[in-house]
Amino acid sequence: MMQKKWFKLFIWFISTALFFAASSIVIATYSPAPTEQQTMQYMSGMMSAMEKSLMGLSMSIEGDVELKKIISEVSSVTTTLVIVSIVTGDYVRRSRRKKNG
Amino acid sequence: MNVKFDFVMHWLWTIAFALLALSGLTMVGAKFSWIMNNDIASADIIHRILAAIFVVLTLISILYEIIRGCKNNDKKQAWMIIGKSGYQLFTFITTLIFIITGIIIWVCMDTNMAAVAFCLYIHEKLTYIVVGSLIWHIYEKCHALIWPKKAVARSRIKK
Repeated sequence: MMQKKWFKLFIWFISTALFFAASSIVIATYSPAPTEQQTMQYMSGMMSAMEKSLMGLSMSIEGDVELKKIISEVSSVTTTLVIVSIVTGDYVRRSRRKKNG
Repeated sequence: MNVKFDFVMHWLWTIAFALLALSGLTMVGAKFSWIMNNDIASADIIHRILAAIFVVLTLISILYEIIRGCKNNDKKQAWMIIGKSGYQLFTFITTLIFIITGIIIWVCMDTNMAAVAFCLYIHEKLTYIVVGSLIWHIYEKCHALIWPKKAVARSRIKK
């Protein structure tokens, strides 16, 4: 696997991403204090995150009674579904093991 | 093609960590937000989804190590992300700190700001240390970056 070209390309890609992360830390640490414009851009990004992110979405759900009802109904059967799927998966594995000897 | 479990876990974990690092750094502050062009909303969603994947991958690895321990299997697994010594031990400890502080940040965001502030500080500084250590890890394992064609050509020259 390690000798495949596409995998080498992937390793190069990931390494580059990590080098980018490391160099961005160095650049950000030693760069001068952010300008007012940069701070405003960051703040507006944060504000839009409040509206669009999972955190913001969870806040908007508070007012939606129908969606809240659906979520509570769905989450009530989740545990049962997980248990049933684990038991079914285990049954299938065991029955196949028996068949294959 | 024989692909081993620890090999798959290593690379899945690497992808998750690289994306977590980039999306996390974007949210650190105004000095960092250029990394994702001030798109904090995307960074937030990417960071949360990948954090869940990261936790699942780590838990699977821990369970795998526990099962191996129960079976008295001492065979060295070179690709495993966690282990008893060296970089594997470092990854194990830092991952646990990342997960614990991350959970506290996520859960206490609306209730305990003191705990969130403390955990954010640890989470952020640990990121710098771990990203630095990853550069060292890449440097140590840089033979993995050698392009296969060249390797074949070199072996032919030697012959």
